[in-house]
Amino acid sequence: MKSRTAGPVAAITGIGVVAPNGIGAEAFWKATQAGDSVLDRVTRQGCEHLPVRVAGEVRGFDPGSLVEERFLVQTDRFSHYALAAADLALEHARLGRADYADDPYAVGVVTAAGSGGGEFGQRELQRLWGRGPRYVGPYQSIAWFYAASTGQISIRRGFKGPCGVVCSDEAGGLDAFAHAVRAIRQGSQAMLVGATEAPLAPYSVVCQVGYEGLSTGDDPERAYRPFTAKACGFVPAEGGAMFTVEDAAEAVRRGAPVRALLAGHCATFTPPGRPEDSEGLAHAVRGALREAGCAPEEVDVVFADALGTPEADAAEAAALREALGAYGSKVPVTAPKTGTGRAYCAAGTLDTAAAVLALEHGVVPPTPNVFDVCHDLDVVTGSARVAPVRTALVLSRGRMGSNAALVLRKGP
Amino acid sequence: MSDRLTMEELAALMKSAGITVDPAELTSRPDSRFDDYGLDSLGLLGIVGELENRRGRALPTDADRCKSPREFVDLVNNSLMTGA
Repeated sequence: MKSRTAGPVAAITGIGVVAPNGIGAEAFWKATQAGDSVLDRVTRQGCEHLPVRVAGEVRGFDPGSLVEERFLVQTDRFSHYALAAADLALEHARLGRADYADDPYAVGVVTAAGSGGGEFGQRELQRLWGRGPRYVGPYQSIAWFYAASTGQISIRRGFKGPCGVVCSDEAGGLDAFAHAVRAIRQGSQAMLVGATEAPLAPYSVVCQVGYEGLSTGDDPERAYRPFTAKACGFVPAEGGAMFTVEDAAEAVRRGAPVRALLAGHCATFTPPGRPEDSEGLAHAVRGALREAGCAPEEVDVVFADALGTPEADAAEAAALREALGAYGSKVPVTAPKTGTGRAYCAAGTLDTAAAVLALEHGVVPPTPNVFDVCHDLDVVTGSARVAPVRTALVLSRGRMGSNAALVLRKGP
Repeated sequence: MSDRLTMEELAALMKSAGITVDPAELTSRPDSRFDDYGLDSLGLLGIVGELENRRGRALPTDADRCKSPREFVDLVNNSLMTGA
């Protein structure tokens, strides 16, 4: 991502959030900083009787007021979130069409997705079975696909630069940033980066039911309490975040708001089905710190993956001690996702949004619903902690064994 | 010829592809390109499929490659009239 002498090349200049606790960076930060929990019973049609009782639903999102109808009919809900979040990220960065009209090849898109458009796909497959192949619409060919959001963002905004989709398990949300930094290194001026998910539809929920670590609790205040003796898994969430990432020097030159620098990233892989394994995550943390030229004690806050099972929580705590030494027990750790749910690939992007805002505001947001931490960690619970925050470490793990760590530095 | 394709029906079909257009505009500017209305090739393919379901017969294989409303309506109606 960077060499120690060159300094970070890429800056986050815009954040676009569509999250269960708020749409837009400002609303999201207000709720995150306050530690509001919006976890609630699943109300999405066709899901009420399924064994996933509690989740973070995005409510009050009106795609018709944000995205043109012709893009909406072609796409699943997960792309609706991505299209809206991309607009917000561009607006937040004050990057308009005039900035790239002369060179559309200077801007690219990279997203990550865990499952793609399950709701759209289910509707079309029901038509296939119910009425026959002549009744399946042509957009089925693209809408269910996990690459749909990258394609539709690039088409809608006219971006012709490098476009890609990271399919690397849930940690792909952080890996997407590394791809964007590489594109910037190779000469792109800006990249739209991020991930959104829409796992709260009948087919998609059924796919998750077998997931080890998925909470089936029905009390929104108790269903997702990582790092406690009552940990019983995670609850899913929908939504996500897109970011404008720019060449740092170019961003400064055009007077863009440099909100954070992408200083280091590392991805590792451990065998699936071994949540107790700490080595892969520890190695990812060490790799990301090395790339950032960052000593363990410089990390001011860790945004934890917080899978929420006793083994995985213990492994995450152990990974921090292995990678950060004794400081691993002292560094403030937070998991705001306990108030919104864990949004698969998008979880890392929502944490990155919270981390950038924590750097900007000098505040570590709390971990809602979590009290009586039973691991050797300084988990920020109750209310936000005001502290100088210059460096943030974001962690993400996937159930198939991927691990990623991302180091963010405060902008100049 | 109740089963002829009219600009009114084409406008309604385009609406299902997310494109809102006044039939009067299609009639007055029949040579404007589908591209300019924002209708892409998959959108036109969906319209062809829906029309085939409605009329209960296949349309020419190049129907979804038409570039403008006039070209499309002429091709569809010639096909329907000749029973091809």
